[in-house]
Amino acid sequence: MFTGPLDILIIPLALVLAFFLWASLAPFETMGWWAGWFGDKIYHDNVPSDGIVRAVRGHPACYVLFLSGIGRVSGHTLSFREQEFLRQLALRAPTAVVLDDIFPYSVNNLALTGQPIFAWLWRWALDRKRNGPPLAGYLINIRNLFQVAIAIDHRYAPLYNQAMAEVVLDSLLRYQYDPESPTPIFVIGYSGAAQMAIGAVTYLREWVKGPVYAVSLGGIFSSDPGLLAADHVYHLWGTRDSAQVWRWLFPGRWRICASSEWNRACRHKRVTVVPMPGMGHTGHGGYLDVKSRAAGQPPHVCLTAQTVADLIRHAVAGQPVLTPLWTAPISVIPHSTSQIALLDDCPTIHYSEVEHN
Amino acid sequence: MIWQALCLNPTVYAGIQSAPGGLGFAVAVVLLAGFSEAVGQSLVLFLNRVRPARFGLALLIATLSHIAGYVIWTLTIWVAAGLLFGVHAPLLAVASAVGLAYAPQIFSFFILTPYFGNAFSVLLSLWSMLAVVMAVRIGVGLQTWQAVLVASLGWLLLQVMQRTIGLPLLHIQRWMAARAAGVTLDLRPRDVLRLRRHRARTWYTQLESWHRRRGFIGLPPEQTPVGGQTHVHRTP
Repeated sequence: MFTGPLDILIIPLALVLAFFLWASLAPFETMGWWAGWFGDKIYHDNVPSDGIVRAVRGHPACYVLFLSGIGRVSGHTLSFREQEFLRQLALRAPTAVVLDDIFPYSVNNLALTGQPIFAWLWRWALDRKRNGPPLAGYLINIRNLFQVAIAIDHRYAPLYNQAMAEVVLDSLLRYQYDPESPTPIFVIGYSGAAQMAIGAVTYLREWVKGPVYAVSLGGIFSSDPGLLAADHVYHLWGTRDSAQVWRWLFPGRWRICASSEWNRACRHKRVTVVPMPGMGHTGHGGYLDVKSRAAGQPPHVCLTAQTVADLIRHAVAGQPVLTPLWTAPISVIPHSTSQIALLDDCPTIHYSEVEHN
Repeated sequence: MIWQALCLNPTVYAGIQSAPGGLGFAVAVVLLAGFSEAVGQSLVLFLNRVRPARFGLALLIATLSHIAGYVIWTLTIWVAAGLLFGVHAPLLAVASAVGLAYAPQIFSFFILTPYFGNAFSVLLSLWSMLAVVMAVRIGVGLQTWQAVLVASLGWLLLQVMQRTIGLPLLHIQRWMAARAAGVTLDLRPRDVLRLRRHRARTWYTQLESWHRRRGFIGLPPEQTPVGGQTHVHRTP
């Protein structure tokens, strides 16, 4: 069948071409949105509250938006680890309104499974992801990864980030947020969504009067103008998070690019890197792992939630953590005995559930 | 044949000059490359909020403009070869070879690839340059160094023409592009950072808000606000 060395390469070459063809078609969603081809509508998944997450409890002291990793297909998370993290965070920050019903990989919050033409494809991929074989499920991750690349690309990023800021603001407004109030906003981005969070902050802070903080939970993000636009950026960095190596893909994150937004933000003490000892990127041993790694030690999800809750507490008290790079969380936010007791109070998790990150 | 042209095979560049319908094939390659490049550059159309119905028409005009560019490019190479080395190869034969050299630009729409688009752009430019040198070497019948010189002079002539006698043509092309798009194409990719989809607050409100926030997080007073102060307001 094959007659020469180049012919043998035809199939892999065709696959690579198909991959890049898909990638080059990806920005049309963002560009079409900007041009007004899809209207101004922002879609809602109407995810019901579980009582503490997606609920306004009393007078909100701050708003916390969680943007999920690249495994998501809609505003409704299917990851039990993320659900547990949000629950733990809401328990530890009782005055905060914790929201997660945002699909950060769509310009208008439209779920993949609700798309007009390709909904069947994403439903099929999601079904494969949940029930196996999971390889097809990675189509979702690849598609969402392209959206992250769009949010990084200087040609499309200002368009995509405005769309994301609109989605974020729309979500806040649905939960009684007042843009004229000084209520702080925390936008948490997990993994690739950190790019979406930081990018959206650039525009969000032009529309609201309260401070806007970006929290990167093991985030993979470029040197984005949002790093300078945010009132402060917190980067939770697991010491075993091997995915952080992808930051080298962005020249602006290199030290030699002294004038990059990242390096300027670091110099201006607008970034706090919070090392998370022993934490990996995802799954077992990850930031949101619900199992204890050692006897007597709280699960990572509780430590992560507590760290974020402490950052929120300081900001709400008017004394946000502004310590510079490489400050250990244990010294930045000492855990009191009562807090440790709270950490021990982690509920039983049903481990039989399937993780979809 | 396109695959061989992409591989810079000299035989195919020689063969197309004598092949029946060679020029037609070359023009088809140019059209395909032109359409691909038009799609690759379509960000400008979207930035200026072109309507869907006009999008196809604008792409068509851009593709046809590509043909005009091809004709001028062929002529400049032919003239340059005559000026520098006194070689006067048949114009249609040169046109066939030069047209085939557009083959790498068939992949121009890959420029849209997020994040890696610029790398593709550089790669395609280098690839196209090599293809043009090959086309000139075979099409005009020169040595490699002579082909490099002719292609360079041809490019220089093209640049000079675009800024002098070609200006009216350029204006016509832009006018046609704008007419086809149905909007003025005044926004360019370099403007994208300043674009705002919705009206922001007035500048003094932002300033007041900025000062309050700055006091809130206790930043040093000499620190200057960053970004978000210049806007191109676009009401949807």
